[in-house]
Amino acid sequence: MLGDAGKAQEIFQAIMHDAALRAAEGELPNDRLSIFRDARYRCLGASEAGLQAEAIELEEHEIDCSAPVQIAKLEPAQLAVWISAAPDPQRTALALFYLDEFDHEELLALSELKTAELANLIGNGRQEFQAWLNATFPREQAFEEQA
Amino acid sequence: MKMPRLSRRQRMFVQCAPFNEERIRDRAMRAAVFRVHKTDEFANQREFDRAVAALVQTVPIPEGVTAWLSKGIYVAAPKRTWKEALQNPAVLAIGIAVSVIAAIFVMKLIERMNEFPGGTTARRLLTVASSVHSLMLDPVKTDAGALGDYFFMKHRLPHYDVPPEFADLRTLGCRVFDDEEGQRVAQIWLIEKHMQFFIFPAERDLKTGAARHFSGWRYVDQYRWTGVVQERNGVCFMAALRGSEKDLAPYISKPKD
Repeated sequence: MLGDAGKAQEIFQAIMHDAALRAAEGELPNDRLSIFRDARYRCLGASEAGLQAEAIELEEHEIDCSAPVQIAKLEPAQLAVWISAAPDPQRTALALFYLDEFDHEELLALSELKTAELANLIGNGRQEFQAWLNATFPREQAFEEQA
Repeated sequence: MKMPRLSRRQRMFVQCAPFNEERIRDRAMRAAVFRVHKTDEFANQREFDRAVAALVQTVPIPEGVTAWLSKGIYVAAPKRTWKEALQNPAVLAIGIAVSVIAAIFVMKLIERMNEFPGGTTARRLLTVASSVHSLMLDPVKTDAGALGDYFFMKHRLPHYDVPPEFADLRTLGCRVFDDEEGQRVAQIWLIEKHMQFFIFPAERDLKTGAARHFSGWRYVDQYRWTGVVQERNGVCFMAALRGSEKDLAPYISKPKD
């Protein structure tokens, strides 16, 4: 969500600190999603305070069958930066979707989106990411390395 | 394989379907995914998503985070309501089993409460009543109450009397026969409602040989036949007809002298 491990850790520790305080007072939330919701709001708050990504129209490419090979070449930090640069709620949708922690209903609840919106954001996100992959690892290079 | 025609809703579900099958809990989404799961386009989407998720999994988790997480659980254990507990399949199965056992127990209890000494013989005689034809009986046309003397004089059967409740009814015929246990049974055929009377020895205690008494009238039924039985002086009297307890109740509701 933030593309910055240091900031993410600070937010995580703040959430855990609050949760520990609540646990000590016997006021633990019943909802498993509440911690993730809290994390999302804090991340959004933190990212608003920092540098803002420029709003630009991203190119979209059809998903290629060689995409897994291109993705395998990425560093996790590169992916984190790409997702954190996406405008919210697309950022939230992509981050939660690829965490592989939630089912569809939970994704909708956490992202506060409707199915049509979520589908659109994820679908567009895939194609934009594919376009970025194609730009980062042009086809010729990908085929050469495969060979 | 090409993408099949999908509705707008199905296209939406396919777009945002979790790449992990275990996370697809929505039936409509599962159906949409099933329709496209063999297509190249969806296979590409899945491979793409899984590759991204695999990359996410490689994100190193700082030591501090692990240390914090190991400190405890920060979500309260879900409180189970009665409704939720009852919807649990195990609880439901136990509930059904207990209900069935309870129902059988109650049925057995009711059966036990209706049992009386001589009940087995009475049920057997109801089977006889349903199969015997009036032509097999000696024709005797009189009041049923008068047959007590007849049984005593002709067959030496003491106390084979018809109770006052049924004594006024007119008879068609009667007979005396030995049942399966060698007991002497008197059978009377009546005009009214094709009713039949049976008079037979009361059940005896195996040790002492004394008759086992019971008070009042007791109902028995067997194959659509119903009987009402009374014991007096070691002899049981049963009035039987094809019908229910309702048909016999009027006769015994007002005891006569």
